[in-house]
Amino acid sequence: MIHQGEILAPLLDVRNLRTEFATDTGTVRAVDDASFSIMPGERIAVVGESGSGKSAMAMSILRLLVYPGRVVSGDVLLEGRNIAQLSERQLNQLRGRSVGTVFQDPMSSLDPVMRISKQMTAPIMRNLGMSYKQAYAEAVEWLRKVGIPDPERRITAFPFEMSGGMRQRVMIAMALSCRPKLLIADEPTTALDVTIQAQIVEILKTLTSEANTAMMFITHDLGLVARLADKVAVMYAGRIVEFATVGEIFSAPRHPYTQSLLRTIPSPTALNTSRLPQIPGLPPDMKKTLRGCAFRERCRAATEICAREAPELSHRGANHVAACWQPEGLGSSAIDAEPERALRRNDGPFRDRVIVEINNLNKHFTSSSFLSRASRNVIRAVNGVNLRVRQGETLGIVGESGCGKSTLARLLLGLERPCSGEIFTEGLTQMVFQDPASSFNPKMRIRNIIEEPLLVKGKGDWRTRQTRVEDLVKLVGLDPAHLDRFPGQLSGGQLQRIAVARALALEPSVVVADEPTSALDVSVRAQIINLLADLKQELGVAFVFISHDLLTVQYISDRIAVMYLGEVVEYGPADLVFNSPAHPYTKALIDAVPIPDPARESRRASAVLRGELPSPLNEISGCTFATRCPLATEQCRTEKPKLRQHRKSREAACHYAK
Amino acid sequence: MSNSFITQPARVHAIWMSRRRVLDKLRQNRFLMNSKTIGAFLILVPIALLVTLAPLLPLQAPLETNLMAMMLPPSLEHPFGTDRMGRDIFSRSLEGVKVSLQVGLSVAALALVMGMLLGTLAGFFGGIIDRAVMVIVDIFMAFPSLLLAIGLIAIMGTGLVPVVMAIAIADIPRFIRLQRSLVLGLRTRAYIDAARTVQASQFWLMTRHIVPNSLAPMLVAASISAANAILVEASLSFLGLGIMPPAPSLGNLIREGQLYMEQAWWISTLPGVVILLIAISFHFLSDGIRQALDPRSRK
Amino acid sequence: MLAYSLKKLLQLVVTTIGVVTLVFFAMRLIPGDAAAAMAGDTLSGAALERLRDQMGLNDPLIVQFWTFVRSLLVLDLGRTLTTNLPVSDLIMSAAPITLLIAIATIILAIAIAIPLGTMAAFMAHKGHKTLDNMITGLAMIIDLMPSFWTALVFLLIFSLTLGWFPASGPISWDDPYTIVMRLALPILVLSLSQVAILARMTRTAVLEVLSEDYVRTARAMGWSELRVLFRHALKNAALPIVTVVGLSFGNLLNGTIIVEAIFTIPGVGTVLINGINSRDYQLVQVLMIFYAMLFVFINFATDILYRALDPRVKF
Repeated sequence: MIHQGEILAPLLDVRNLRTEFATDTGTVRAVDDASFSIMPGERIAVVGESGSGKSAMAMSILRLLVYPGRVVSGDVLLEGRNIAQLSERQLNQLRGRSVGTVFQDPMSSLDPVMRISKQMTAPIMRNLGMSYKQAYAEAVEWLRKVGIPDPERRITAFPFEMSGGMRQRVMIAMALSCRPKLLIADEPTTALDVTIQAQIVEILKTLTSEANTAMMFITHDLGLVARLADKVAVMYAGRIVEFATVGEIFSAPRHPYTQSLLRTIPSPTALNTSRLPQIPGLPPDMKKTLRGCAFRERCRAATEICAREAPELSHRGANHVAACWQPEGLGSSAIDAEPERALRRNDGPFRDRVIVEINNLNKHFTSSSFLSRASRNVIRAVNGVNLRVRQGETLGIVGESGCGKSTLARLLLGLERPCSGEIFTEGLTQMVFQDPASSFNPKMRIRNIIEEPLLVKGKGDWRTRQTRVEDLVKLVGLDPAHLDRFPGQLSGGQLQRIAVARALALEPSVVVADEPTSALDVSVRAQIINLLADLKQELGVAFVFISHDLLTVQYISDRIAVMYLGEVVEYGPADLVFNSPAHPYTKALIDAVPIPDPARESRRASAVLRGELPSPLNEISGCTFATRCPLATEQCRTEKPKLRQHRKSREAACHYAK
Repeated sequence: MSNSFITQPARVHAIWMSRRRVLDKLRQNRFLMNSKTIGAFLILVPIALLVTLAPLLPLQAPLETNLMAMMLPPSLEHPFGTDRMGRDIFSRSLEGVKVSLQVGLSVAALALVMGMLLGTLAGFFGGIIDRAVMVIVDIFMAFPSLLLAIGLIAIMGTGLVPVVMAIAIADIPRFIRLQRSLVLGLRTRAYIDAARTVQASQFWLMTRHIVPNSLAPMLVAASISAANAILVEASLSFLGLGIMPPAPSLGNLIREGQLYMEQAWWISTLPGVVILLIAISFHFLSDGIRQALDPRSRK
Repeated sequence: MLAYSLKKLLQLVVTTIGVVTLVFFAMRLIPGDAAAAMAGDTLSGAALERLRDQMGLNDPLIVQFWTFVRSLLVLDLGRTLTTNLPVSDLIMSAAPITLLIAIATIILAIAIAIPLGTMAAFMAHKGHKTLDNMITGLAMIIDLMPSFWTALVFLLIFSLTLGWFPASGPISWDDPYTIVMRLALPILVLSLSQVAILARMTRTAVLEVLSEDYVRTARAMGWSELRVLFRHALKNAALPIVTVVGLSFGNLLNGTIIVEAIFTIPGVGTVLINGINSRDYQLVQVLMIFYAMLFVFINFATDILYRALDPRVKF
């Protein structure tokens, strides 16, 4: 139990909540005895990996779970009223009115066949008793507040006429328009690009503190937690394992899971000279009855009591509780048990041989519609890119969605033909794909999947191929016993290891990895990143690591190329680009990345990049970034800056690069 | 001697374990251990047994007439009664079931093979092949299926082979469409790209990746197609455009009974129930395959 | 929208040309020719040759094809073999009856199936499986009952045993009462399978929409279950339902052929079966084209309607 201040009554008080999903293969205990409370105006972050029960907990509060999910026991008190005892009708009066909700996927959260005006005015009219005219004016006002340009016109739009970022703004406007006392935001920025995420987080922060609205913010991103939360609840396997103020969670975490999790994230400030600490193993199967602590199998501090009995939340300070038998959690055993391995950096002067050379590469997609050949749309996915990859180095490519980084990868692999320009490669190029679930033929065994490249190329006889396959599996750190399974029987992390094994089968000189960790949970992500780093050192293979996750790219790469609208705007050594960006876009991108350090986050200027990505259909004569750039001048709008040498060993495409 | 004494229990144990493994495999089989599949087999297996064992059963031959036993209601001796020429409707129905199953399975097989072939070519290669195939598909799909079958029968004449051909031709366009859409979905999967990065041939991609992954949904469609073909054959025979008397088919049995509905309801009614049962079992089969395939199946 | 309609119209024209060509050339595949079939055993040698000349069967194929197309364009479709009536008159008198049956069936089926399917979906979504299983199970059984068999059973029960509806008799447009009584059973029989198909499709469509994120949004905004169901779920599910109605029209046309035969209704299906039995291939090819055109046009209309209902189209 968490005791709050004596004077204020909590706005929301959740006690011993249990939620289950009855599936045909067993009952998933999604939320297991969760208790916490939120004070008026307070911002609580709930963090956890996928399947930790954080969304199910949020949905349980308003009884929004759909079959087969149901709340089994526990009380939810909203302003002292027990929601469990309310009728459906009374509940509907609370939903929207007292508690607003924003969901993860803005693309599907608004009714596609209903205009924004109708979706927004109806709740305002019902909850605030306004006339249609008043409600309409109110809705326009809210759209203005959430930063939608030209709201008078945009309010008549259908959702499909807006971008994801705009739709999420509409969702926020809709959720806040009835002036709720609590806003539940379930991963509201996960589907968005990092610069848009920064804008949305800023809006949420401003609007909730203006109206003293409490917020329950569900996320897996510890950086976002540091940016906006007052308090943090950490969930693991359906249980709240730690609950404390944001400062304490980051400076003095007490639960081994929190402690490990914080250390698996690459830090932008530390010199990345060692491997990432990783949490071994996988989260437990939620269908099995757990005895003892759910984290014990992955915990270095586990003792035999942990296996016998589950620890309750107990106090670690005035506003700090944790569920662990050890008062300090990992405590002194926090020092990594595995030997530190140096991470060789390869970002000095160019010594090594160039094995990939890309010269003035262009890929334009044309879409023409029936009867209107004249209005041909050209999307410049990759526009005049020059890059080099050297033997044994990792080139990181970062950029937001639509910047052309995936098209570049497909061009490198020969899956797309360039419109113009050249790619020279020495040796073979192979690929690790983003989504482990669709990267493998579900009808093939792992053995045959890894064998396929060898078989296609006719390498070796059956026996040598089998030995090679087994060697590869061991190389990526998996038990050869996995070879006879099907992809559906392995976890995401294991599958990404298999993907790496398949990519290495033909001993390529370059492996292109397109977002190889973005579908994985934080605790598994570190395992894959370490694997790639090890392989680079052991095999001397070069990697092209494509990601939108700047922290990871900065950690793993020797050099970074930053892309914007099909062009490389900056290129240079990873640490240099990250710590003193030359191009204003790089700077904006880095500023937008939430850093898991509340002190640093609060010091940070909240200067967020304005606007959205311009439509790739418009031909831009000057600098592509000019529409959003704080430094843009007339020169930028008319004259296109070339990528040119800037300071030592770095290139940037900006007239005013610092 | 001592050797065998020691190994005997071990061998028994090994056999026992391997048997258990087989049983476990069976138990884990999502297709077989499925209420729908079991339901389908509960109907189909006894019917198939009856059809194959019919000559051994103490039944009147399907074409044998008996003027002493005309239009008898169902009894132990004649489970489905007799018709106006004293023929046993039960044994005639079994003969009709044989025709139904022949038609259903042949049509499903033909449609599956042709649909997979043309659909894969159209979907995988696109361009002019795709357009040509799809224009022809659209033209054939412009006809309601029974009508197209009737038209084809008008050209090819009646009988078992023309009926199978007519129904299959009316069904193939749908299979081509389905396979094409499956291929279009599969073509962009990452594992296809992975195989393409090692320069796997088009033939390799189609046979190793596309066909195995589209086979299961196509089998679902084929199972439904079998049920549908059985119904269409019955309709054609009922209209006098399918299997012609005196050869029995469930459809022409019903046609023959039509005139005596008032005096002998069983002649038409009971063969209809048999058609329904077979059609339902093929639908169960398709549901069984579907549920085995869908990992998120909620049922 | 205009561009889309034009594109669909072009497709319609291409399909029509394809249908006419296919039917014409397929009919030439019949062993023997139309003249021989027409003459049966009555003519031979020179007389048959004269008939061939008269029917234009000795012209080059392409000329014959053009003659056929022209006759379709001017609706001068020749005369029937047995009764020597103008084919266009025959179709004009038979088509309204078939269309009446089809339209009444669709209206009846939609009125029953959509509430039924929506209810089943709602129950399934809430986890009340019994009612849902009953509705879907019943729908499957009804859908799989051979329609001619259902028709016979209905005839036996409602006409022969209970005597509520006449089993045969003339149909005259001057006597609405007999029309209703004569067509009631056929429409009921056809509606059964249409209801079964539509209810299942409605259930699938609504169930899918009910698990969409925007439905959750609407519930989170405090709207009642019924409002969510009608304002959001059904409105979005309407789109796939429209397509299914269009596609199941083909089934419906199949069904009309059968019920017309059983209830001795002088519709297009009866004309077709008589044509085939009397080997009147000129008549059969015209009727094949008639049915195909009807089906193609209905699908064209549902395509356009779909687009009109969906705001996600540029106008």
